[in-house]
Amino acid sequence: MAEMNIPESGAKKGKKKVRSKKASTRVDLTAMVDLGFLLITFFMLATTFNKPKTMEVVKPPKDDKVEEKDIPAIKMSKTVTLLLGNNDKVYWYVSPDEITEETAFVLDSTDYGPSGLRKVIQRRVEEVHEQWTDTTNLFVMIKPLPSSRYKNIVDVLDEMTINDVKTYAILKPNDPVDSLVCVKVGQPRK
Amino acid sequence: MPKVKVPRKSTAIDMTAMCDVAFLLLTFFILTTKFRPQEVVQIDIPSSTAQIPIPDRDIMMFQISPEGKVFFGLDDQNTRLKLLSRLEEGYGLKFTDDQKDAFRLAELWGMDIRELPGYLSLDANGRANYQHPGLRIDTTGGEHQLEDLILWSRQENNNLRIAIKADKTTEYKAFDAVIEALQNRKVNRFNLITSARSAQE
Repeated sequence: MAEMNIPESGAKKGKKKVRSKKASTRVDLTAMVDLGFLLITFFMLATTFNKPKTMEVVKPPKDDKVEEKDIPAIKMSKTVTLLLGNNDKVYWYVSPDEITEETAFVLDSTDYGPSGLRKVIQRRVEEVHEQWTDTTNLFVMIKPLPSSRYKNIVDVLDEMTINDVKTYAILKPNDPVDSLVCVKVGQPRK
Repeated sequence: MPKVKVPRKSTAIDMTAMCDVAFLLLTFFILTTKFRPQEVVQIDIPSSTAQIPIPDRDIMMFQISPEGKVFFGLDDQNTRLKLLSRLEEGYGLKFTDDQKDAFRLAELWGMDIRELPGYLSLDANGRANYQHPGLRIDTTGGEHQLEDLILWSRQENNNLRIAIKADKTTEYKAFDAVIEALQNRKVNRFNLITSARSAQE
């Protein structure tokens, strides 16, 4: 189809009749293909292909009128606190409801991988279901320390989606226990 | 035995189909992609399993570099111009038509608002090579530049959605400062830009 139109010389020497030459309707498309691929290459390099995804974050409105007594209280045994530290470490603990002589306080650190934080949250969800009712939701308190990375907060919020934790909040590390943890792990709280 | 003559075949190949494919792909790329905006700062975004695509228009974008510099960008050129006139009013600045035009084309910028006239009087090449110092977050002196930008942009375009694009390694401190300013201006809903990944990773 796309042959070059080279006149056949020597084949019809004997004929003397002048005939109007039938020009072939075939066009050489090689150049056009070249151009096409050149443009494709250009568009592939100069444009962005897939749009980035977004993660929606909704924070509670800051309202000075809400008094402390109006804020619903949550039993600490239904919660878990995650403190996001530096070097991709997350410290987690469960605050006791009441401090008695038997109160045990466990502070542990883990990483953001599927075998780290995800396990902690899944275990905690089950613990809360056992201790309370099956419909009780775990409440996760996320407290990023100033030295933590942006990636960390995204990872934690992502874990909330993956584990289907509906109730969580991003808070400031204001609790006295947080200060204690910060001192213990040697990181600034503010 | 007669010699078997191998018929000579033409080396020319039919290019029509190839040409069709090339242009089909070309059309596909033109329609599905969008030109990459000029990058003021290199940002490596973290990944998440979030599936919500970023809206096409009416975006107010905050970008935070790994060092914690904050950059500001509006996607709509009309809103940019309206914002500039609000800045003129609010900060007692005066912009020439050339400077306004330069601001209309500014995808992303980050500097003290008072330094804007200097930046905008540079030529296109100078602006492209300009090292942005980052928006002024410090509010000493009672000037809340970040909050002013948020408030005025939103007053000029009520449908603006807020997107935050930060580097993986940006410290939480810088991110918190932006959120703080947004919340002070009663913006409690914003989008964090991430790239896609699966839950197993």
